Amino acid sequence: MYRLLFKSFFRTKLFLVSLLLLLSIGTISIFIGKQYLVKQEKNTVSAQKFQEESIKQNLEYHNNDLGLLLYYQRFAFIKKPANISAISIGQSDVNPLLQAVTIRGIEGQKYDTDFENPSLLMSGNLDLSFVITYLFPLLLIALTFNLYSEEKELGTWRILTAQTSGKASFLLKKLLVRVGFIFAVLIVLLFLASAVLQIEMNQNFWALFAQSVLYLLFWSALCFWIISLLKNSSFNALALISIWVVLTILIPAIVNNYVTNTYQVPEALHAMLEQRDGYHEKWDLEKDATMTGFYEAYPQYKDYKVPENTFSWIWYYGMQHNGDLASKETSTEMKDKIKMRNNVSETIALFVPTMHAQLSFNNLAGTDMLSHLDFLDALTEFHENLRLDFYTTIFDKKTADTVNWKNYDAKFYTSKQDFSWGYLLLPTLIITLLISALGVINIRKL
Amino acid sequence: MRRNVIFLLASQLRKDAFRSRVIGISLGLMVFLLIFSAYTGWENYHDQNHTRDVVQNEVQESWENNPDKHPHRMSHYGSFALRMKHVLSVFDLGMENFVGNAVFLEAHKQNTVNFSEASMSTGLLRFGEVSMAMLLKVILPLLIFYLGFATIAQERENGTLKLLIGQGITRTEIVLGKWLGLWGLSLLFLFATFLVVLFFIYMGSHNVLHSNSFIRYGILLISYILFFGILSAITILVSAFSKRAKGALIKLLGIWLLFVIIMPKSLQAIGYYLYPTPSKIEMETAVEHDLAKLGDSHNPDDTHFKVLKDSVLLANNVKEVKDLPFNYGGLIMAEGEAMSTAVYLDHEKRLYNVYSKQNNIERYSAFINPYTAIKNLSMAFSGTDFQSYLHFKSKAEAYRFKLAQDMNQLQIDFIANKGKEGPTKISNKYWKDFPPFEYNYLTTTTIFKNELLSILALLLWCVLAVFGLSKLSTNLKAI
Repeated sequence: MYRLLFKSFFRTKLFLVSLLLLLSIGTISIFIGKQYLVKQEKNTVSAQKFQEESIKQNLEYHNNDLGLLLYYQRFAFIKKPANISAISIGQSDVNPLLQAVTIRGIEGQKYDTDFENPSLLMSGNLDLSFVITYLFPLLLIALTFNLYSEEKELGTWRILTAQTSGKASFLLKKLLVRVGFIFAVLIVLLFLASAVLQIEMNQNFWALFAQSVLYLLFWSALCFWIISLLKNSSFNALALISIWVVLTILIPAIVNNYVTNTYQVPEALHAMLEQRDGYHEKWDLEKDATMTGFYEAYPQYKDYKVPENTFSWIWYYGMQHNGDLASKETSTEMKDKIKMRNNVSETIALFVPTMHAQLSFNNLAGTDMLSHLDFLDALTEFHENLRLDFYTTIFDKKTADTVNWKNYDAKFYTSKQDFSWGYLLLPTLIITLLISALGVINIRKL
Repeated sequence: MRRNVIFLLASQLRKDAFRSRVIGISLGLMVFLLIFSAYTGWENYHDQNHTRDVVQNEVQESWENNPDKHPHRMSHYGSFALRMKHVLSVFDLGMENFVGNAVFLEAHKQNTVNFSEASMSTGLLRFGEVSMAMLLKVILPLLIFYLGFATIAQERENGTLKLLIGQGITRTEIVLGKWLGLWGLSLLFLFATFLVVLFFIYMGSHNVLHSNSFIRYGILLISYILFFGILSAITILVSAFSKRAKGALIKLLGIWLLFVIIMPKSLQAIGYYLYPTPSKIEMETAVEHDLAKLGDSHNPDDTHFKVLKDSVLLANNVKEVKDLPFNYGGLIMAEGEAMSTAVYLDHEKRLYNVYSKQNNIERYSAFINPYTAIKNLSMAFSGTDFQSYLHFKSKAEAYRFKLAQDMNQLQIDFIANKGKEGPTKISNKYWKDFPPFEYNYLTTTTIFKNELLSILALLLWCVLAVFGLSKLSTNLKAI
């Protein structure tokens, strides 16, 4: 029976078209991911080279003045993308993976963006996660919408029912052949991706695998349910495409508008101003105004006194740090707002499989918003360690060649991606089971 | 061709459409979406611009309140430029949320424009945003296809087409009637949307900045009317050339997916793949490299600055820098600023040229995809396209340059030369004299020039549509 069903399916034009379409766009998307990884790698190399050369040059110009040297010198901190991120590039095109910072105030440096073409940002990356969330469901719809209706409309249904014992089981088998084909293509593409992109076969990869399979199961269940209503082909096509538009375009977009408007982040702009003023106003104030805050934060430097009438680096870097102190509260509020946006989106996504799939892909690939916030926290810590490393040497007025510059190459950050299997799979699984149950009830009446 | 017959056929199509359940559900949905997008669009525009306006005023206030000081300190104190949203961004969000909103302007350095909405959003943003233009560009075409797929194919299947022709109604009348009927239906929703937009423009019109909004509005309206005319024609043609209504529907859904979802995104991706761009760190390295070749003000043995020094000394008839009657340090910084800015802008221009190449692949596809034409036109006239953003950026950069150079000039004129007794500070009245950052939008003429391609494509599609319909009028098959 299956052999015949497979045979008749493989002979259709639609089978060939969908196979070619999925395989070609899928392969393109994998290579776009590859290009993303290559670009990041190139970026890393140039940052390392840049840092090495600039240290050399700065040593040449400013050896006698370490404070001035460090005014210019930038230190790269790089989030090394896991190869799996090429499957779901997520927000990592908007939020740079690399920051090169001086030991001046961090707040004015950490939100600097990289150059990206806004048109591309708007249209989004054509990565494998896009192919899975958008195109696979469409192909499923194209292959299954007239599963029953076509037989009915061509008049072959009556002949079939005369020849087979279970009408429902016949339809199920026919569905299974098509769904099986889609799953086969999905699995081929995922393994192709893991080979081309050299993705580690760790928990995250298998979680992404499971999420993709489950997501397509959800769509199969939806198609099955619509088929089980036993309507005509036009109705099915209309209904399924409408559901697709609602789930992949309208609901996520509506949620996005809602979240953006409800949790606006004016703090970003305020923190920016507070940082500058918190630093700059100190130039025109007594030295104490700077040093009280600085000594409070770092009592270990209390013994360094600040000359009253001349410029000193301890005062300068103290002022810089005051900028960070002044904006700290607002900056934390901003971070909380962004986290809130993320929480609300994720919670709503639990009820909408398309959104849940995309957000979990990003999460598993380490390209989501939270992962970026973690990176920013790590960057702040990296910056503080750098400062504390250099402060003593600067304040002791040592020359730059006393520093062991070999230790100051570009540094890397690896993100930790935690996830819970239940949170990942259960929401879509429950929804899928519910819809399937509806379909089964309908088809029993057949 | 009888006008009343065409009118009758058109109104028949409209009546049929309103009788079907599909339109009931989708009309309800569309009205909800229209209200939702209008409300959130306006709220977003209003709140964001309000915040930015407040911050921009704070920036100016704190600038003016600086005490007497050395002017170079002021160029490091710097300023901020905030991007104000155009009132038509309520209609079409375009790239609005993917470009930065605030940039710190200081001497010696071109900072990036930061805090785009995208940089503070979750991955959901990639699903898109709801705006009134999105409804018109993405959802309404689908609705037109839903409503129109059966027009001719169904009548032929039922045999009513044969009856119509048998009753002496000409093919031209049938085609025109169906086409105008469908077009009219889509215009109902278009006009409803544009009425809402008109209200918002009126609300925003008290601001002189938005004075050319009404012209932009008119152009947008005409473009969308034409766009829907084209879509209606495509629908009628596909329906007429399909054997069955079912086939017409499947074809139209395929066209929609290809035009609206698959093609724009794939072509943009291909553009990105073909023309790689440098990262920021690569470009900064290149800028520093080029600058070092021209002249390095930090390097005491640099030839460029040595020549400059010699000529300045000669012109002022003195032997040493300390004998100059003005502040020499200011002069060097002014020269350094001019040079570094020129080099930076040159590299930036090259970067944007690559962006243009990346985008052009998709832009040129307007000739095979009318959606692309309307998308780019709509963004451009709503002030939310890439060019509008670049316009802001160049204004901000010009302001930064003026700020740095004015401060350098003040230093040259009023600060004592190194090694000499004299003032090290100047009065804070000079800060108050420096004008605040002001921004205007692109002129309509410039947008026209930028979007010539899209306009041409749209017009070409109109010609094609009319041509297709006239062909159909002669060889429409009755059976």
